[in-house]
Amino acid sequence: MPGPILEPLRLSFQVMALATLLLFVFGLILGVLLARVKFPGHLAIETIILLPLVLPPSVVGYYLLVALGRGSPLKEWAGLDILFTWWAAALASALVGLPLMVLSTRAAVANINPALENAARTLGSSEPGVFFRVTLPLARRGVLAGLVLGAARALGEFGATLMVAGSIPGRTQTLPLAIYDAVQNRDYILANQMVLIMTGIAFVGLWWARRQEEVRKPGPRQQTQEEIE
Amino acid sequence: MSLGGIPNLLVDIEVQRNGFNLRVALDVQSEVMVLFGPSGSGKSTTLQAIAGLITPRKGTIVFNGETLFQRGRAVPLVNAPARKRRIGYVFQDYALFPHLTALRNIAFPLWKRPGAGSRARELLEQMGLSGLGNSYPHELSGGQQQRVAIARALAAEPQVLLLDEPFSALDLETRRRVRGEVRKVLHETHIPVVLVTHDREEVLALGDRVAVIDQGHIVAHGAPLALLGHPPRERVARLTGMKNIIRLQVLGADPAEGILHCGRGEFLLEVPLSDVHAGQEVMVGFRADDVLLATTKPVGLSARNAIPGKVVSVQSIGTVYEVIMDCSGIYLMSHITRRAVEELGVKPQVGLWAVVKTASCFILHE
Repeated sequence: MPGPILEPLRLSFQVMALATLLLFVFGLILGVLLARVKFPGHLAIETIILLPLVLPPSVVGYYLLVALGRGSPLKEWAGLDILFTWWAAALASALVGLPLMVLSTRAAVANINPALENAARTLGSSEPGVFFRVTLPLARRGVLAGLVLGAARALGEFGATLMVAGSIPGRTQTLPLAIYDAVQNRDYILANQMVLIMTGIAFVGLWWARRQEEVRKPGPRQQTQEEIE
Repeated sequence: MSLGGIPNLLVDIEVQRNGFNLRVALDVQSEVMVLFGPSGSGKSTTLQAIAGLITPRKGTIVFNGETLFQRGRAVPLVNAPARKRRIGYVFQDYALFPHLTALRNIAFPLWKRPGAGSRARELLEQMGLSGLGNSYPHELSGGQQQRVAIARALAAEPQVLLLDEPFSALDLETRRRVRGEVRKVLHETHIPVVLVTHDREEVLALGDRVAVIDQGHIVAHGAPLALLGHPPRERVARLTGMKNIIRLQVLGADPAEGILHCGRGEFLLEVPLSDVHAGQEVMVGFRADDVLLATTKPVGLSARNAIPGKVVSVQSIGTVYEVIMDCSGIYLMSHITRRAVEELGVKPQVGLWAVVKTASCFILHE
């Protein structure tokens, strides 16, 4: 694979890896909280988390720019100076993928029969024990599906990333940005190749996530050989 | 502070839930205490409160002198979390973990303890489930799931065992078959057991004692046979499935014979002597199972009450038929078998005699 593709591709995966990690941690926490804790104003919080689904990525990017830019508490007090680095690209991607992860996780957790968690409690399980031995394994498919969807969305992020990380080749220029660049330079051969790669990755991710949903629905799940052992 | 080493669970709680008030006091030794009542009477809520899954408004829960829960004016709040109470709970739908095999379900409370695997296997065999350890809950029959649920609860070595309608998820046949096995297991545990049901048969088959609960209050308690056979009050009689409850007037007493003559219009009934006086209105109850039907007025029969009447309806209810008779304007209910329905030619408008032993009737206090 030629260098003009390899470098953005590598950077894309690097950004996606960090974005996925952020998605997993924050998406899981938010999804479980929204499914289980009914606090006043939960609808407002939920709506705010879902906003990136409908807002133009440039708006999300603008908010991030303000939050991370000069004079912001994050920069001045926490010393978080990541604008125009791949870290900012990862943060922007995670934010845009978050709604998908939260929605899926919340639905999976809300679907669990609370009697199962109560059963674990009467059997001596602590609250973290209940979460890691009952809730999470039972919500596994929904969590994974949400994570893959969110990660795929993060991989394809363009607008917000451009706002906070720019399009610096070799530093912040991910595949979607490189495609835009190639088209600007009328390098259609390069653009075609990168477009096909993007489409392939997105297809596999979506297909896999959909498959998780399919398996989840008809009740009893399939068991793997390892589990039978 | 165990009293002579006899396990003892004391419950005295008030729970407020969705505008519903529950006030329950129980004293359970190492025996099977059955909480009997209609659905919505507060049976499951009581179990959940004992297990620590919901918090009562006030009251105490004490096991062997150890306070598990205490809340009220002028006492410090004690509320041990469910996981620390060591109270086993068998849920109505068993709540087996669908992602774990039968064996892993049973081993769940033994997590990270040495010998967990062999202990779980031991329980599996004890419950007659050998060979099913690698099956997932959805691959097991209802009866097998129930046994896994009981084994799982026992694996945690509970001090008290609670069972919420343990047979309701099973079909009638399985229910009767497994009842004996469950009874044996429960009695072998030698711990206080509280079992919730709305089935009379289960009370009689499993209970050492029974408490009848209605609209959040315990309305009667005692030995199953005595209480269900001779419920003290009309409300308890209705709750325990007494189908014939009629209002009659006391016509006269015959102390020498030990009987009372009661009646209304042409309807006459002899009931055992009771502390009532002539002219008084009383409620008399007897079970539909205790009413015999005959095509002619029986002769040479010890039963003293033979009442002529007309069949109103015949209806199958599970294993027996329920016949409703109109006897001089008073409706009587009788349970007879399918064979009896055929042989007697029981159908609406047919004239029959309803026969009731005097000893089967008793006066209910309102």
